[in-house]
Amino acid sequence: MRLSEIWRTTTFRLSLLYFLLFALGAVALLALVYVRSAVYLTQRVDRILAAEASAEMTLPRSALRQTIDDALIVNSRNSLFALFAADGTRLTGNLRRLPEGLQPGGHPVEMAPTADFPASARLVARRLPSGDILVVGRAIDQLREIRRIIASALIWSGVLTIVAGLACGVALSVGPLRRLRKLQAAAHHIAAGDLRRRMPVSSRGDELDMFALTVNYMLGEVERLMGEVKTSSDTIAHDLRTPLTRVRAQLHRLGLGAAVDPADIARVTAELDEVLERFIAILRISELETRARSAGFAATDLSRLLQQAGDLYQPLAEEAGVQLTVSATPGMIVDADAKLLFEAVSNLVDNAIKFSGKGGEVRLQLDGRPEGPRLIVQDDGPGVPAEERTAVLQRFYRSERDKLTPGSGLGLSIVAAIVRLHRFGLELQDSGPGLRVVIECHPVDVNI
Amino acid sequence: MGVLNLASVGTGGPVPRILVIEDDPETAEEIAACLTASGFESSRCFDGPTGLEAAMNEQFDAITLDRMLPGLDGLALVKALRDAGSDAPVLMVSALSDVDDRVDGLRAGGDDYLIKPFAPKELIARLEVLLRRHQTSGAEVRLRVADLELDLVKHEAVRDGRRIELLPMEFQLLEFMMRNAGHLLTRRMIFEKVWEYYFDPGTNLINVHVGKLRRKIDGPGLLPLIRTERGQGYMLYAP
Repeated sequence: MRLSEIWRTTTFRLSLLYFLLFALGAVALLALVYVRSAVYLTQRVDRILAAEASAEMTLPRSALRQTIDDALIVNSRNSLFALFAADGTRLTGNLRRLPEGLQPGGHPVEMAPTADFPASARLVARRLPSGDILVVGRAIDQLREIRRIIASALIWSGVLTIVAGLACGVALSVGPLRRLRKLQAAAHHIAAGDLRRRMPVSSRGDELDMFALTVNYMLGEVERLMGEVKTSSDTIAHDLRTPLTRVRAQLHRLGLGAAVDPADIARVTAELDEVLERFIAILRISELETRARSAGFAATDLSRLLQQAGDLYQPLAEEAGVQLTVSATPGMIVDADAKLLFEAVSNLVDNAIKFSGKGGEVRLQLDGRPEGPRLIVQDDGPGVPAEERTAVLQRFYRSERDKLTPGSGLGLSIVAAIVRLHRFGLELQDSGPGLRVVIECHPVDVNI
Repeated sequence: MGVLNLASVGTGGPVPRILVIEDDPETAEEIAACLTASGFESSRCFDGPTGLEAAMNEQFDAITLDRMLPGLDGLALVKALRDAGSDAPVLMVSALSDVDDRVDGLRAGGDDYLIKPFAPKELIARLEVLLRRHQTSGAEVRLRVADLELDLVKHEAVRDGRRIELLPMEFQLLEFMMRNAGHLLTRRMIFEKVWEYYFDPGTNLINVHVGKLRRKIDGPGLLPLIRTERGQGYMLYAP
């Protein structure tokens, strides 16, 4: 796992961003603490200065000088006391000159450290009744001290936050990256052909697991489809081997004989025609499966469509000795590809006639139902065994009964492909005896 | 069969020349062999640009055109040909069998559309119909084959002076067969041109429709006009 990979992970970036935001918050908090304490301390100093000045102003002139001197003996480091004459000459105290900008009776001012008083100070001046000027001051180095403490707190906490952020980011990214590696490894195996393999899923149920589960679902579908494709190609291969082997044998026999009988040629040709027919049906199914759904869709009159299918197949039914009846509720209109739907119905009717046999009956029926029109093609032939009913709808599946009759045998697969394209429903039922094919001509959610 | 074809297309006139534009050499070879056997003359081109050049520079009676060609695809080729004013009948040959593909092919200017894989006879039959259609105006009001007459205005069929009752589809079927009298019509062609559906109708469906029509027009004591070409299709002709 390279460092550059960790930098790029979302977890890392998010944790870094989170810690930066946290640092900003801390700066703001400390700044607020500083401002509030500075204001508070300044006000407090100002109040003390005002109180001291007021107290000293009440003293008589002679006592005042003594008081100042006494006070300075006690605390000349933090306190400033000075008395100036009206013309600005110093009378006593630890301030050499009257600072500029300090107005008697005015607002307190700040003074930078000097040689006499090596700390910043806040001063206030008062004019005494005698005309002298009294200056009272206090060192305000506490404020600077607090500023320094807060600044160092800022720097240290900032450094710590960033280091902790980086560490957390790395630590948090390593886990997911490791899991991602496992997912990648699984994906490589799957890409290499191991379709049984699945993405590892942890018990956490986090976003990676959600993703892995989605991929696993997809893999399941892919595996199913691949299996279906394999089954289909196996089916096709098996189906075609028989007639092709027969053709080969017949050609071989023809090659041995001296005279060629046109009947033999006709037989071989018929056999090959059947193979060709099956290929055409296979191509047709693939074509239907890849077709864009909405292609020839339009409002389609199902009742008319059924009537036309009945008309088209009536002569065939008559010849086969089958009674074909059409009963369609008029005015059933659905959004469909009329040509394709007609092809599906034709296939069903063709099959029904084929399997009903002489004296049989085929019924074409269209009912209006609350959820949508329902189209039924029913025969009284041998039917399809229950266990084969879903299989015959799969691509390229030829049921046992189809193998005994001419034709591609893929009619039902074509019907299923057309119905699937329409997202309609398709069901094979037992009509005791016989087969009943029901097409629900409205969108149905069930996968077929 | 070959004799009949020759009789139907080459009534003393020049032998029809067909341009085969097909990129697969084996398919091209097969088509050419078929054409020769049926009395046509053929030239071959293996890609789009040379095919278009040949079609523009020489006079052909018909063209078979593969839909997917190197250089210039079949759709673009037939469009260019039509834009240049050529009206030679074009039979598009394609592995794309969907109705939409067919519509595209015909809209681009193709006259008929044949799906691969196809039986050679099917190709010949369709070409003959195209050649024939090219010669007739289509504006006739009455068709006649031997003693069978079809009045397109009155919607009436008369054979040997006797009126024959026909259902609407039977009438259309008979009209199609009479317009193409003397030509082999495959079941698929009949289904496509008369019913206008493009799927495989199965062998028997068209047989019974033609059989029904035949019982109506070839009554007892009359010369049979509809002849079955075993395994291939039907032909209506005056014996």
